[in-house]
Amino acid sequence: MQSDTSAIPIQPCKHCGTQAPVDVHFCPRCDRILTLGRHGDYFTFFGLHRRLRVDPRDLEQRFRTLSRQFHPDYFHNSGTTERLASLERSSYLNDAFRTLRDPLARLEYLLKLEGFAPKEARDASAQVPAALLEEVFALNEELEAAQDMRLEGAPAGQIAARLDAARTPIEANLAEHERQLDVLMTAHDAQFDAGDVEGRHATLASMRTLLLERTYLTNLLATVHRELGGGEPVQS
Amino acid sequence: MSKVVGIDLGTTNSLVAFAAGGTPEVIADESGDTLLPSIVSVDEQHTFHVGREAQRRLLTDPTRTVYSVKRFMGRGFEDVQDEQRWFPFKVSGEAGDVVHIHLGETELTPPEISACVLRELKRRAEQFFMKAGDFDPEVAAAVITVPAYFNDAQRTATRDAGRLAGLEVLRIINEPTAACLAYGLDKRRQGTIAVYDLGGGTFDISILKVEDGVFQVLSTNGDTHLGGDDIDRVLVEIVAADLGIDPATQAEAVQAVRKAVIQAKWDLSDFDETDIELDRVPGSDRSYRRHITRSEFESLIAPIVARTLQPCRRAIEDAGLTAQQVDAVVLVGGSTRTPIVRREVEKLFGRAPYTDLNPDEIVAIGAAVQADILVSGRREMLLLDVTPLSLGIETMGGIVSKIILRNSTIPASGSEMFTSFVDNQTAVDIHILQGEREMAADNRSLGRFKLRGIPPMPAGLPRIQVRFQIDANGILSVSAHELRTGVEQAIEVKPSYGMLLESFEHAQEDVNARMLIEVRNEAETILAATEKTLRRPDFAEIAAARLAPGEVGAIHAAVAEVKAVMTQDDRDVIQARSTALNDATKHLAEVMMNWTVQAALAGRSADDVAAQGR
Repeated sequence: MQSDTSAIPIQPCKHCGTQAPVDVHFCPRCDRILTLGRHGDYFTFFGLHRRLRVDPRDLEQRFRTLSRQFHPDYFHNSGTTERLASLERSSYLNDAFRTLRDPLARLEYLLKLEGFAPKEARDASAQVPAALLEEVFALNEELEAAQDMRLEGAPAGQIAARLDAARTPIEANLAEHERQLDVLMTAHDAQFDAGDVEGRHATLASMRTLLLERTYLTNLLATVHRELGGGEPVQS
Repeated sequence: MSKVVGIDLGTTNSLVAFAAGGTPEVIADESGDTLLPSIVSVDEQHTFHVGREAQRRLLTDPTRTVYSVKRFMGRGFEDVQDEQRWFPFKVSGEAGDVVHIHLGETELTPPEISACVLRELKRRAEQFFMKAGDFDPEVAAAVITVPAYFNDAQRTATRDAGRLAGLEVLRIINEPTAACLAYGLDKRRQGTIAVYDLGGGTFDISILKVEDGVFQVLSTNGDTHLGGDDIDRVLVEIVAADLGIDPATQAEAVQAVRKAVIQAKWDLSDFDETDIELDRVPGSDRSYRRHITRSEFESLIAPIVARTLQPCRRAIEDAGLTAQQVDAVVLVGGSTRTPIVRREVEKLFGRAPYTDLNPDEIVAIGAAVQADILVSGRREMLLLDVTPLSLGIETMGGIVSKIILRNSTIPASGSEMFTSFVDNQTAVDIHILQGEREMAADNRSLGRFKLRGIPPMPAGLPRIQVRFQIDANGILSVSAHELRTGVEQAIEVKPSYGMLLESFEHAQEDVNARMLIEVRNEAETILAATEKTLRRPDFAEIAAARLAPGEVGAIHAAVAEVKAVMTQDDRDVIQARSTALNDATKHLAEVMMNWTVQAALAGRSADDVAAQGR
């Protein structure tokens, strides 16, 4: 388990002044909904450990239960402070649910929480990850070749076949990244349960690298897709 | 406790419903009608007519009558220019300004017109409660429904309409969600439900997951300018072309045609063929008849029905589902009675839609259920809705940076950091947008504001956090603060037009006009009664016998005083003088009453006495 020596952040209830831990939603003394503190995180809000495997049924159940506790519908006749607290808690709950139910968004969020945040996505795509240099080089050649073929008036089918061939290794690499991330997620949770802080940090660092590469690969595929489709994907 | 009702403020018809102890019921008017046509007409005497009477006046006085005003809610003049051609009423406004609708000399905004409809529903409900012997029949608050795909400006306009009608708008909820609430309550169903709502002027599709009494919207999509009106227009254009009608000058003829094609459209839901029939085309002596078959009709409107299918596919995709994973499809809105609509929906979802609930009433019932939840605080049921459109701000190069994505469960919040681009920049412009497009110019502008008072700093150093908060009504508020210094500015986002204030000013004018008319009517009644008495052949006899010296002179003076101000617009003066006349004739009234009674006792009937006065 996580070390229990860290101080629990607390905040006073605005109604009765009782000091309440930040991860409880209602004042332990007067039972009023508490103003959302600045500390906690999505995991503690849901009463979950910082694990990457989340049972979607369980998460949904918690979401519904908490919605039933906080929703502004039920604070219609309450005072301003409580109404605002209900609005803030509901908003936070909805944001948290949206993040935690998606495995990748969940991973990104955890990396950020633990100080392993990848830089801005835009920066990430600007710089080629070292492990992908060779692939990017090869793909760029193929893209140029396809453009030349187009200029020379080669049949569309021929260009498409060449791009398809160029796409295959990238797709395989992407699948491999996803497989590795999956393995690391399991490893991470085991390390979390065992209280292996160092091992866990190493895992998080590896996952950050994989995630950056994955983003890059996805962008490469989008480029090929544009070349193939001859335009932007349809806006929906 | 005063009542909280649920209101479906529709394009074509509006309804009011109430849930007493969890059993929802649609409230009918005195003649048993639950639908109130959303039509408002102002006659030459400045009297407002709402509902059936206004609907009749649409044929006789079309230029003073407005219908389908919902299509104008929260929209700028430039948004509606191309469709106003077929409306009988005149529409004006400047670019970027709210639409104004002219009914004779009266100029009204769409929220003001909707407020007339809401006021009528409020009155209807209050009469219903009064008749039921309720000790507190007042309706002070309501839950009002809007199309799920309404943007922030359209929602705000609806809320304003409620306020103008004297209603506290407890909640704005989405029509398909309300329908699903009513449906779920009725069928006690769990699972994934699609609500296809094709009304008079708007189309919505919502996909919901219902479990443990929580109605969670997964996704929504739609078109706020697509509905039965568009079907009618296709037919109106054909007939108008046959007859050579010019909509700009022949509003009466257009409305007569519109009535005839709507009848034919209804007929074609039940029969394979019918006639579009006009006994007399207004402005001519001709009659008109055109045979139309269902298949002809369906091929005419197929493009309109097809326009609903793309939003459906997107909603299904956004919900992360396939059409086959939807457990039930519910149809809402009068236009879903059209067989081709039912067929297309069935084809898309691969299952027959539910049609056994009244598609006109289901939304109002859902709104009443939600009103009951809010008032009672009962927690068996909960609606979790989403925001239909992404929200963002304009950044460098006119690109939109999205802060809250579409289909996010509401309430929702989001924030983004911004900085300055020039050294010592002390203000930053923030432009708020709603929509899915990449470029700011292609999205709906919700408002602009300036964050001022940023301390002079080198470019890039200020850290400005802009926070968006969408409440449970789907209405947005935005606040911004500079984190290094704590400069904060909170604003409520208003549509780019200065709508709200203006509407309220107009509302005050309307109230004044109405009160003036009432005071005048009252003065006229007293005046007429007094003069009638003064004209009696036996008046001199009565006055000599019973009135004090000078009393007759005082009455004549008071009459003259009232007459002198009757045509003026000063309500207070008219009121004061008619009160004075009333006081001056109080004694006379008593005398006349006694005189009549005595005359009757003396053997003459009261009728004879009264007859002499005529």
